[in-house]
Amino acid sequence: MTAKGRTWFQAPWQYRESALTAITATAFGFAVQYTLKGTGIDMPQWPLNGVSLALLALATLTIALAFRRRPFVQWLGGIPLGLSLIIALALISFIGGMVPQGIEGSPLALRLGLHAVFSSWPFALIVGLFLLNIGLSLVWRTVPFNIGNLQFILFHGGFWLALACGVFGRSDLERLIVPVYEGRSSSHGMISGEGRELRRLPFSIHLHDFSIEEYPPEILLYDPAADRFIMDESQTMTEIRRGVALTWKGTRVEILDYLPSAMPGADGTPVAAPTAAGIPYAMVRITGTGAQPDTWISTGGPGMRPYAAEVGSRYLIMMPGSPKTYRSAVTIRGLDGSSREALLEVNKPVNFAGWKIYQMGYDEASGRFSTLSLLEAIRDPWLPAVYLGLFMILGGNALFFWNGIKRSGVER
Amino acid sequence: MILDFTTAAYLSIALWASGTMLSVASKRAPALQRPATALNLGGSLVMIAFIALYWSALERPPLRTLGETRLWYAALIPLVGLLVEGRWKISWLKYYCMALASFFLTINLMHPEVFDKALMPALQSPWFVPHVVVYLVGYVLLAASSVSGWHNIFLTWRKNNTPQNDALAHYLALLGFVFLTFGLVFGALWAKDAWGNYWSWDPKETWAFIAWLIYLGYLHASSSRVDRLKLQWYLALAFLVLLVSWFGVNYLPTAPNSVHTYQQS
Ligand code: HEM
Repeated sequence: MTAKGRTWFQAPWQYRESALTAITATAFGFAVQYTLKGTGIDMPQWPLNGVSLALLALATLTIALAFRRRPFVQWLGGIPLGLSLIIALALISFIGGMVPQGIEGSPLALRLGLHAVFSSWPFALIVGLFLLNIGLSLVWRTVPFNIGNLQFILFHGGFWLALACGVFGRSDLERLIVPVYEGRSSSHGMISGEGRELRRLPFSIHLHDFSIEEYPPEILLYDPAADRFIMDESQTMTEIRRGVALTWKGTRVEILDYLPSAMPGADGTPVAAPTAAGIPYAMVRITGTGAQPDTWISTGGPGMRPYAAEVGSRYLIMMPGSPKTYRSAVTIRGLDGSSREALLEVNKPVNFAGWKIYQMGYDEASGRFSTLSLLEAIRDPWLPAVYLGLFMILGGNALFFWNGIKRSGVER
Repeated sequence: MILDFTTAAYLSIALWASGTMLSVASKRAPALQRPATALNLGGSLVMIAFIALYWSALERPPLRTLGETRLWYAALIPLVGLLVEGRWKISWLKYYCMALASFFLTINLMHPEVFDKALMPALQSPWFVPHVVVYLVGYVLLAASSVSGWHNIFLTWRKNNTPQNDALAHYLALLGFVFLTFGLVFGALWAKDAWGNYWSWDPKETWAFIAWLIYLGYLHASSSRVDRLKLQWYLALAFLVLLVSWFGVNYLPTAPNSVHTYQQS
C-alpha cells in the first residue's frame, strides 16, 4: 500500500494522506457545527442551489481538464481518497443509524449535530469532497470517450447525479398535507411539523367518497394479568369465519355465526345492518375450561361498546381487522380549468400539474367511519435528475454483473 | 396445509445432513456423488415446496417477517453452494451453506412464527416482491462471500490457499453487491410511491446504506492494490454490518423511529 520510505505528504499521496484528509474534514465539520451552536447547513432554494451545483460542476470540470497531470489533483480524484471518503460517510451514517434523529438529546450531542447528522456540516463536507472526487475521475474517464469505460461512467455518473441532485434539490421539496372531508373541496395544504403553516395549492381537490376495506376481525385470548395475547395451538392468527374452531390448552372455541356488519336489536341480539353503520359480531361456543352458554362477542365501534367473553381469568375478544385498503375518489381541478378524476390509494399516487398527490391517512379514531381523508401533495422538481442517476447506477450494475461473470477469474 | 413447517424443516435438515455424509463419502466412492447432490438439492426443494404452499395458504408472499425471510434464505443458500460446485468444482462452500441454512431453520423451529394474514396498505405494492427477493439473493451471496473469506483466512494460515479461492470470495461479493444495489434502488423507488420520498434516512434505510457503502469500499479497495489477505478479512467481517442492517436494526436505540418496524420477529 504505502510505499516504503516515503515520508508523509511526499508525492504521490496515498492512503495515509487520504485517511488523514477524510478525518480532518470530518473533525473540521464537527468543529464548525459546534461553533455555530448546532445549526446545521441550510441549502438555499432554487435558483441559488442550482447555481451552486453548476459552479461545483464547472470547477470540477476545469480542475480535471486543466490540471490533469498534477499529482495532487490525481490524488484528489483517485481511489485512495474515494475509499477514505466512503468509509468516512459510512461512519457518519453510523452515527445517524445509532443516535435517534430529529429529537431532543443531551446539549453536547445537539450542539455537535448528532441528532440531525444528515444536515450537519461534517456530512455536507464529506459529500462535497465525494462529489469532487467522483467528478474528477468521471471527467477523466469520459474525456476522451471510450466505450470500455461505460460501466464506470454509469456507476459514477449515476451516483454523482443522484447524490448531487438529491442533496442540492432537497430544499425545493414541498410536502403539504391536505385534509378534505367528504363532499367538500380544499385548495390549501399544511406544512407538517410545528407551525402548521398553510400554503395555497395550484389546484383544488374535491372529495366525493372515502372508503376503507378492512381485513376480517381476529379472535384472540387476552390474559389481563400478563397483559398479552395468547396464541392458540395452531400458532396462527385466525380470522373469524363461521365454522372456525380454535383450541387453547383445555379450551375450545367454535364460531357458530358471524355477522360482518350488525347492530344490537331491541332485545340485544345483533341484527344485520348496512356496512356504513354496523360492526362485526360473532356467536361463539366455548367448551372445556371456562365453558358457558353460547354468547355473542363484538369488536365495538363508535357508540357501541365491545363485548368479550370471560374464559376463566382470561377474555376472549374480537379485534377489528386492520385496514386493507383505503381510497379517496376525488376530482382535481387546476387553476387553468383542467381537471382530472382520480382514485387515490396508498402506493398509488396521482400526478397533477407537477405535483404528486398521495393518499396519506384518515381520522383513525373513527376508523372505518371516517369521513375525513388526509391527502398529501408533494412537489419535487429535482426528482427526474435523481431518477436518471438511479437508473444509471442500475444500468452500470447490470453491466457489472455481466462483465463480472465474464472476468471473474474463478474459472481456471 | 399438507406440509407443516416442523415436518418440512426436519425433512430438509435430514436431507442436507444425509447428503453431506454421502458427499464426504463420495471422495472415496465417486459413484455416490450424484445421489449426494440429489439429496442436497432435495433439502432445498422441500423448503421451496413449503414456501409455495405457505404462500398460497397466506394469500400473500411470505416475505414479511424476518422468520419468513429466513425460510427463503434456507431454501436459497444451499443452492448457491451447489451452483458453485457445479460451475467451478469448488465443493467446500456447500457444506457451510447447508449448515447455515439448517441454522436458520433451527431458529424458526425454536420460535414458531406467528403469522398474520394482514398486509398493511403500504406493503401492497408491485415493488414488494422484487425489492425483498433481490435483497434476499444479495444477502445469500454476501453470506457466502463472508464464509468464503473466513475459509480463505484459515487456508492462508495453513499455508495452502489458492488465488482461485480468493477469486471466488471476490466474485460472490461482486454479485452480492449488484443485488444489494438493486435492492436499495428498488426500495427508493417504492418509498417514493408509498411515502412520497425516495429517501428519508429512516434507520432501516440508513443501515442499508451503511452496508452498501461497506461493500462499495470493498470494491474500491480490491480494484486498488490492497493486500489480498486484508481483503479476505474485510469480506469476512463486512457481513456483520449486513446483519445489523438486516435484523439488528430492530434492536437499536433508533428502532422506534422506523417506519419499517412491521418487519419485526
Ligand atoms: C455507485 C456505486 C459505485 C460502484 C459500483 C463503483 C465501482 C468502481 C469500480 C469497479 C472502480 C474501478 C474501475 C476500474 O478499475 O475499471 C471504481 C473506481 C473508482 N471509484 Fe467507484 N464505484 C462507485 C461509487 C463511487 C463513489 C461513491 C466514489 C467516491 C467516493 C467512487 C470513487 C472512485 C474513484 C475515485 C475510482 C478510481 C477512478 C479511476 O481510477 O480513474 N466510486 N469504482
